[in-house]
Amino acid sequence: MNIRNIRIVDYESTTAAADNIEQLRIAIKNQTSGLRKNDFPFSDLDTWIGRVSAIDDIDLGEWQSRNNAMAAYGLQQGTILAQLETLKTRFRPSRVGIIMGSSTSSIDRTETAYRHLDENGALTPEYQQATVHNPHGPGLFVAHKTGVTGPAITINTACSSSAKVFATGARWLQSHVVDAVLVGGVDTLCYSVLHGFDSLQLLSQNPCKPFDNDRDGINLGEASGYAILMRAEDCETDTGIELAGYGESSDAHHMSHPHPEGLGAKQAIESALRMANLPAEEIDYINLHGTSSQANDSIEGKLIGSMFPSSTQCSSTKGWMAHTLGAAGITEALIAIDAARTDLIPGSLNLSNLDSELDFSITPENIERSLTHVMSNSFGFGGNNCCLVFSKTDNNKGSA
Amino acid sequence: MSDNILRCSIKAVGGWGQNYTNWQELSELLTTGATAENTASSPKPEIIPANERRRAPLPVKLAVESSWQATQSAGLDPKDLACVFVSGLGDTQLTDYMCKVLATENMQLSPTKFHNSVHNAAAGYWTISTGCMKAANSVAGFNESVSLAILEAVTQCVQEQAPVQITFYDAPSSEILKPLLKNDQSFSASLIIEPVLESNQTDSNLLEMQVVSQATEWPELDLETHLDTSYKQNPSARILAVLNMLTKDSADTVLLPLSAETSLQLTLHNPKLVN
Repeated sequence: MNIRNIRIVDYESTTAAADNIEQLRIAIKNQTSGLRKNDFPFSDLDTWIGRVSAIDDIDLGEWQSRNNAMAAYGLQQGTILAQLETLKTRFRPSRVGIIMGSSTSSIDRTETAYRHLDENGALTPEYQQATVHNPHGPGLFVAHKTGVTGPAITINTACSSSAKVFATGARWLQSHVVDAVLVGGVDTLCYSVLHGFDSLQLLSQNPCKPFDNDRDGINLGEASGYAILMRAEDCETDTGIELAGYGESSDAHHMSHPHPEGLGAKQAIESALRMANLPAEEIDYINLHGTSSQANDSIEGKLIGSMFPSSTQCSSTKGWMAHTLGAAGITEALIAIDAARTDLIPGSLNLSNLDSELDFSITPENIERSLTHVMSNSFGFGGNNCCLVFSKTDNNKGSA
Repeated sequence: MSDNILRCSIKAVGGWGQNYTNWQELSELLTTGATAENTASSPKPEIIPANERRRAPLPVKLAVESSWQATQSAGLDPKDLACVFVSGLGDTQLTDYMCKVLATENMQLSPTKFHNSVHNAAAGYWTISTGCMKAANSVAGFNESVSLAILEAVTQCVQEQAPVQITFYDAPSSEILKPLLKNDQSFSASLIIEPVLESNQTDSNLLEMQVVSQATEWPELDLETHLDTSYKQNPSARILAVLNMLTKDSADTVLLPLSAETSLQLTLHNPKLVN
């Protein structure tokens, strides 16, 4: 399959580092992190988090959940909603699709509901929200909020969820089942993930240090991210960036440990390069999964060192906004896209001493360099991998 | 592409539910109108290694059993198949466990139950058990889970010109969530779909899919009482609207709700009861 005609029309990102992409550019340029010591209400875990406090007081009535508040706050940023209005008018609302990725959906709300059961142990009226307490919650809410009436689906493959939305979006567009598609990812801090990752002893008591010798675990964060995708021939304006390739694979190894040699990850990267019709050395920048866990960074780092030359610059950007789980795929895809548009490679924040077993191009400092092809890696529980390649369109015409 | 019709063929079916232990039994319930009897409360999918099987939640066992049956019936190695798993409700028993623990003081979760709580647990257990390293998807579509998963799998099958396994599964809801997510039936079914040549009109179980801009409701089916309960309660059991066409003598079309203003139109040509 060749997908050299899927354009990124618009995008937005909301994380602990910045409310929108414009502010994120500044946070990246100045290397200001959004991480803070855990102050999530009623959680006494000794860790650092990427919390978006602006969503604390949002009230969505019958749609209320922290996850939906995050989705709504993200939609208010930039020009995403205005673009969607234009596309709904141009194509009809039923010809626009929605593909959301999430790992928690709105389980935060189910947790809260369970703390407010009535004397019979039943849900109290304000929590009787069928459209919220189910894994498709994000897709249903974003459809409701945007007035898009075409197909809306939610992908829940843990930490690869919102990377895979690009692959599904490309297939829907190529199949002409929609004329434009809003792809997104949303995940929020909740006790399930905070205490779940704590039970796996994966949380760090410090700000995360991906790929560092002294890394000691991950930080959890919350985020939303959106992109509008269209077929090139239908675009009146776009960002000058296209989805050049994607690769999806499975580790077939373990529910919560990555494959020891990164075989699944390797397969996803190779598939994405093949689809993009690019050799590894053409990739100028890779936004790594880089969670700061011992296992991920060791395995991913060795794999990258074996597959890519030193001219491919890499970084993990989780030091800015933490690991945002089901929202991480799109958050980091958008950072890679924005790097290509601004010709600025974000440094690997908090890196002091590269893991002595690793050898590839990674540095804490930002680098100004002209970029043509960029990549983003996402790996999730269940051994679920997705790799994306984005390219500047000017350099690609007729190349595939 | 002008007509936006996507074509594939259904190669095999698998299934395990409240009232049947395989596709043959289910197809008999669909054709003879015989009254269904309850099967065991959970399948025991042999493909999952015994120590893993003990830890596997019911929705995972439903999904893996039916997926294994379908791949066996198709004579295909699961290693060669991309897969799409869909559950409309998720694992509400695990949600219930987590939310109950998290409502207590100590909030200590079991690490195994935590990693099993991901929506892609079924895809994870399946790929680990079979050694499948292909793309594995795990999606949710609430009441439209069946039509959205078909859309996802057929677009993948056609665009990537590769066979895809689709598994639809939902287990009974936990007590606290049951008033909202009214399901007390176990149901799973799997389809193996394959790409077809544009010119080929004679393939058995040739499926044509089209997204049409018109709203619709789930079609009324003339089903045996127990299956009818599943069809009405269990989001995944709505695949019966498609499986039913496989038991007919001639081509048939169904219109399934897909979104607020779209439907999925499915036409099955040359129906043949596959094993």
